[in-house]
Order: sequence, then C-alpha cells, then structure tokens
Amino acid sequence: MDEEQLTDTFVALANSTRRAILGRLALGAATVSEIAEPFDVGLPAISKHLTVLERAGLVQRGRNAKFRPCTLDASPIRDVASWADQFRPVWEERFDRMEQHLQQLQTTDRESAP
Amino acid sequence: MTEKPTPDRVVIDRTFDAPATLVWAMWTDPEQFAAWYGPNGATIPVAELDVRVGGRRRVCMEMPTPDGEMRMWFQGEHTVVEPHRLLVYTERVTDEAGAPAHGDLTEVRVELDQAGSRTRMVMSHLGIPEGSPGAVGWQMALDKLEAKLSGS
Repeated sequence: MDEEQLTDTFVALANSTRRAILGRLALGAATVSEIAEPFDVGLPAISKHLTVLERAGLVQRGRNAKFRPCTLDASPIRDVASWADQFRPVWEERFDRMEQHLQQLQTTDRESAP
Repeated sequence: MTEKPTPDRVVIDRTFDAPATLVWAMWTDPEQFAAWYGPNGATIPVAELDVRVGGRRRVCMEMPTPDGEMRMWFQGEHTVVEPHRLLVYTERVTDEAGAPAHGDLTEVRVELDQAGSRTRMVMSHLGIPEGSPGAVGWQMALDKLEAKLSGS
C-alpha cells in the first residue's frame, strides 16, 4: 500500500458520517438514496462522502446499473491495522526523497565549488 | 544496539552516498528537514527543532484534502543527541498549541555510521501505546470498525 492510498484511507475514515456509511454498507449493497435516508444531510453531501470512500478503495460503485448500488471493500482497513505496516511505506518514501535531496545538495556544492 | 522490526516498530536500514554530517543535517536543520519529510503533495510550513537533550520539536504538515488544506501538528522532545551519530526523539500528533490529539506517542531513533564517503542510517520508529488513551482509542476504533465491516 503506498502512501497516497494510506492517506486516502485515513482521510476517508476520519469522518463520522463516512464511518456510519461504511457501517450501513456492511449490511449489504445500497443505492445512494438508501444510504442517505437515515442522515439529515442531502444527497449531494452523501455523494461527496461516497466519492471520498470510493477514492480510498473502501466503496465500489456499480457501473451499469441504473441506481449504481454501492458495495463495501474493507481490505484497505486491514492494510492499516498494523502500526508498523502503516508507517513503513511513509518512511520508505521519505528516505527516497532524502536521498534525492542529498544528491541535489552535493551536486550543487560541486558545481558551485571553484 | 539496533532494534528488530516488530508489529509496533518500523526499522529501516539505508546507506546514503553522503557524509554523516550532511545526513545529520537532514534531521536537525529545519530547512533541510522540511525538504524531504512531508509526503508528496504536502508541505512543512513549520519545523522548529531545538536539537539538544530536552529540547522541543514542533512540526506542521500541510496537505490538500477534498475539504481544503489539512494541517497536522507533531510535537515532541529530543531525548538523545550525539551529533553525527545518534538522535532520539519522541513525537505525537497534537493540536497547534501542543495538546495531544489522537495517535500514539512514538519514538524515532536515528543511528548514523559513516564509512568512507557513505553513511549507513538505521532508523527505528516505535509506537508507545501505553499511557496514551488517544492511541488506544484510535486502534480500538479501527479494530471495531474492521470487525463490524467483516461482519463478525
């Protein structure tokens, strides 16, 4: 799991409405209006939340069906379950950037040397 | 001396083509630190690093989200400072004022060992859930959510 996906997953989970939507989908597939029914906010707000969940890979939407029912995919949550697993890709990417930065610094140093 | 990876500890061993003084500066010079630390797309608008034993560190990470810029604060304390050799600090997610938010108190340990013109860096990042109700809460919330989602 790369860092961008990890961020998407955490952003998706860091909202009580979206967690409630996941709870609803755990009971089975549902259309956007079925999902929106118990909430005070309107369909556009729910659609926005679903887009965030979809981007995180937590929700899949049917393509062909008229009402595009949403289904749940819980695998991204399992991916962040281990503390170390959650941080390893973050550090690996950071150190890739550190390596590039070190190279740039030293190249600049050599170029600016007399 | 170097810890082994466990479910609560990330250990990464890397060798850079640079002297230890420069790799040390990556961790201790705010300008250098900000250049590599943030995830892609994020920036580090604040990096205050008081690199001495007991010295505070205060880092802000800013990243774009669908609801606008999200700012996360990380604050902690340097606990071991042996220039160009060993740096240990604690860190946790806080609000801007420094009050702990969700997440573990963690410890980052960076060991440097220069050989010729190259430097081996062993970094370990350890989660310390004890005494951190926020961390336990967050993990429990994830566990509960996962259990709920997998239908158990």
